[in-house]
Amino acid sequence: MNCEEYREAIAADPSFDGGAGHLTECAACQAYRADMLALEQTISRALAIEVPELQVPELPELSTSTTDNVVTLPNRRWVSATWIAMAATVVVAAFLGVRLIGTGVEYDSLTDEILAHLDGEPYALRVTDAAITDERLNSVVPAAIAQLDHSAGLITYAQSCSINGHDVPHLVIQGERGPVTILLMPNEKVSEARSFGGNNVVGVILPIGNGSVAIIGERGERLDIIEQEILKSVTWST
Amino acid sequence: MHSSKTAAERRQRFDEYVGVYHQDMYRYAAWLSRDKAIAEDVVQEALLRAWKSLDALREDLSAKQWLLTIVRRENARYFERKRLETVDIDNLTASQAALLAEQPDEELDEMRQAIYELDDDYREPLVLQVLMGFSTNEIAEQMGLKQGAVLTRLHRARAKLKDQMVKQ
Repeated sequence: MNCEEYREAIAADPSFDGGAGHLTECAACQAYRADMLALEQTISRALAIEVPELQVPELPELSTSTTDNVVTLPNRRWVSATWIAMAATVVVAAFLGVRLIGTGVEYDSLTDEILAHLDGEPYALRVTDAAITDERLNSVVPAAIAQLDHSAGLITYAQSCSINGHDVPHLVIQGERGPVTILLMPNEKVSEARSFGGNNVVGVILPIGNGSVAIIGERGERLDIIEQEILKSVTWST
Repeated sequence: MHSSKTAAERRQRFDEYVGVYHQDMYRYAAWLSRDKAIAEDVVQEALLRAWKSLDALREDLSAKQWLLTIVRRENARYFERKRLETVDIDNLTASQAALLAEQPDEELDEMRQAIYELDDDYREPLVLQVLMGFSTNEIAEQMGLKQGAVLTRLHRARAKLKDQMVKQ
């Protein structure tokens, strides 16, 4: 380890304790480390601003039990890290057998419900190259509902979720800017594409036949590329 | 009977999370928005959304990251709704200025101003690391970045702060 490498490491994380051999022999880096630790103390104190007294907002009554909407983490396996696009052929064949019970919360729009749902599963948005197993994918998107050709893509999360009272396969793929969420919604018909987003998130709900697909990624993500792949490869059969 | 007990347990769980993590939520919101009044609004909205989504949180160990993710999204939505873009450091509102002048300590005031002036891309990972105690891997997950990108941003953030403090 040289001086530049050591200083980058200590500046990225002042608790860095590697490079002991270099540090012992380099007085300049010892001084740099001491400066960084002092700086860190000041940063920490500066960030710890006073917090006003907690004001909990009025919370609406919810009608569901706590066990109705639990989710589980998917199993993962290692595959090629190269993600190009998801090629999916979706054939809607039947309504899903078991319907999860919703939260009992009324949302203003489908977009609101989708965003609220994503808030509930932050762990789905992991930056990873570990794909889920075929078994996992097939259980979330069973053949009776859809057929997915994912040979060209990397799906890192799959979970059957409830959106607007319907079971919806919730998938996450790895985009250029980070994880991208894809919700396959065969029961949600929209008349035209709806874009939405904020400072950090962009999304679109695409109409496809009698259903739709929501795609949500980090701001800056090239959703248009993923949209084209989805539009080309998704076919509703009903 | 069962449902009322469940509702009570749910509320108790919510109150426990809020009690433990409210300070983190507020400080994260304040440094994201750079405005104390906005931070209070964002936290209120985040608490509501957390309450509605509480059943989706299965593991208590994930609660902090889950709540901060909600704060992050609420902050983004707030700015999207309000169409607020950039902050002119020379024309701060009272609640923006309040963030910079908390205590009569010259060194801390200078550091707060230097942090305030950092780009969002640099300020956010710094807050997550220093205030929230997140590892670089956890920050990468929170922000949807590669770990290498987080390390680079943290390194640059501290270098900028160091330079700024030397200048002042």
